[in-house]
Amino acid sequence: MRLNDWQQEVEAYLLGQDPTPNPALRASLLGSAALAVEQGLAIYHNAYRARLLEALRGDYTAVHGWLGDAEFDAIGSAYIAAHPSRHYSLRWLGAELASFIEAYLVPEQALPLGELARLEWAFTLAFDTPDAQPLSLAQMAELPAEDWPELQLRYVPSVQWQTCRFNSLAIWRALKEQGEFPGSLALEQEEPCLIWRDGLVSRYRSLGRGEAKALQGMAQEGWSFAELCAQLNEYGDHAPLQAVTWLRQWLRDGLLQRHLP
Amino acid sequence: MHNPPDNLGFGLGLRSAYYQAILEQRPAIDWFEIVSENYLVEGGKALYYLDAIGEHYPLVMHGVSLSIGGPHPLDRDYLNRLKQLAARVQPAWISDHLCWSRGNAHQLHDLLPLPYTEESLLHVATRVRQVQEVLERPLVLENVSSYLRSADDQFTEWQFLAALSEVSGCELLLDVNNVYVSARNHSFDPWDFISGLPAQRVRQLHLAGHSDYGSYLIDTHDQPVSDPVWQLYQRTLRHLGPVSTLLERDDHYPPLDELLGELDKARAVAAAALDKEPQCA
Repeated sequence: MRLNDWQQEVEAYLLGQDPTPNPALRASLLGSAALAVEQGLAIYHNAYRARLLEALRGDYTAVHGWLGDAEFDAIGSAYIAAHPSRHYSLRWLGAELASFIEAYLVPEQALPLGELARLEWAFTLAFDTPDAQPLSLAQMAELPAEDWPELQLRYVPSVQWQTCRFNSLAIWRALKEQGEFPGSLALEQEEPCLIWRDGLVSRYRSLGRGEAKALQGMAQEGWSFAELCAQLNEYGDHAPLQAVTWLRQWLRDGLLQRHLP
Repeated sequence: MHNPPDNLGFGLGLRSAYYQAILEQRPAIDWFEIVSENYLVEGGKALYYLDAIGEHYPLVMHGVSLSIGGPHPLDRDYLNRLKQLAARVQPAWISDHLCWSRGNAHQLHDLLPLPYTEESLLHVATRVRQVQEVLERPLVLENVSSYLRSADDQFTEWQFLAALSEVSGCELLLDVNNVYVSARNHSFDPWDFISGLPAQRVRQLHLAGHSDYGSYLIDTHDQPVSDPVWQLYQRTLRHLGPVSTLLERDDHYPPLDELLGELDKARAVAAAALDKEPQCA
């Protein structure tokens, strides 16, 4: 058999569900007294699935903790069959798992589980984004007063947003700390959540809706500090104070870098 | 007798489980081998520790995704990123495996053996030369553990490696454990393999543990090196002379001291093989 044809046979065998080889592949191989052809092929067939499932379990420890081994592996296997790996690094294997879960399960399971999967993937994304030097409080303190109104800020590259409709953060925390599963609950109102990397440490926190809108306005929509204050008109005379309070918190968190238009 | 210009001594595969201990203890390890793919990222912890550890130890880059024997075109993006990483790491050399790990359509994430035929030799040698042009250095290729053997083989695996090295200029990473595992699985004499390689082309040795399933072995890298592999290592060093030796562990990570103990054993075995006192790191 030509090399390319043989490799196509092996690839189809590894990706297929049936560990029994077709006759052409079987005939292309030699066994030994120690290891029969079928045993040898089965080692690769098992290893392919085990390796990919292990990568998914590693990236989705909370989803795995929620579902348990059997259910997680069933969903993981269906996912691998639908999304075979296309990147040389297994680090990207799980990129579509949340969307897959949302389409694969019935809605009452799919929505909270998909949200938890998105949360976990956000941590994965934040983990190895480019390093950045966030703007510090000390640097801000040195900024001349006349530069404040036009000050523009952007997110450091690791910042990920997630809007939670369920208690996914509480579930994630409990499962990470191997605590008791708190049960899945829908939140009374949506809760914006930030995930980012501060130095080498992954961090997260929930935001009130006002703070979330202000932060998005400044870091994403390009508001200057003067525009931020103007947008906070519901706070009346306290608008600048509220803006400064949030800004100090964002800088303490290491979320922002200066943008020079 | 083998006399490489840069025998690095006795090294350990760098794994994240040991990052902190390495920086805190600065253990007597001569060098580290990194899995290149773990550092083909934009930022974060892995690159931080890579830079910090690289300040104190020589490094070698060892990849698992090149798929030098694969049916697909070579991944230029991957190669360019590998080259960028090499500029950062300044590795003593860059290695991967004589295998294929990607099919026509998908990544298979395994070190799959090739049929050892004239056709494979031409295919792999052409690609090795292309990789060497991009990386601007000889590629070092490792023999894999295998559980399959092609009925079309025209060469033994060691004849294939020798011929590949001859026609492409690549160097060899001889994994002593892999030779032992494949020899048991395919019923050949491991010494035929090792003595059949061109000694001058062997740049590095690997040592690792395997799991014994009775009639066959699986290369699991989650155990200490087995006694038969130590014996084969000793005989290999008597044959080759001193060669950079690397201990791999990829699962069931013991405390770092246990791996340091295994490295000391490698030093003692090497000293006995080469008839001299063990060298301190």
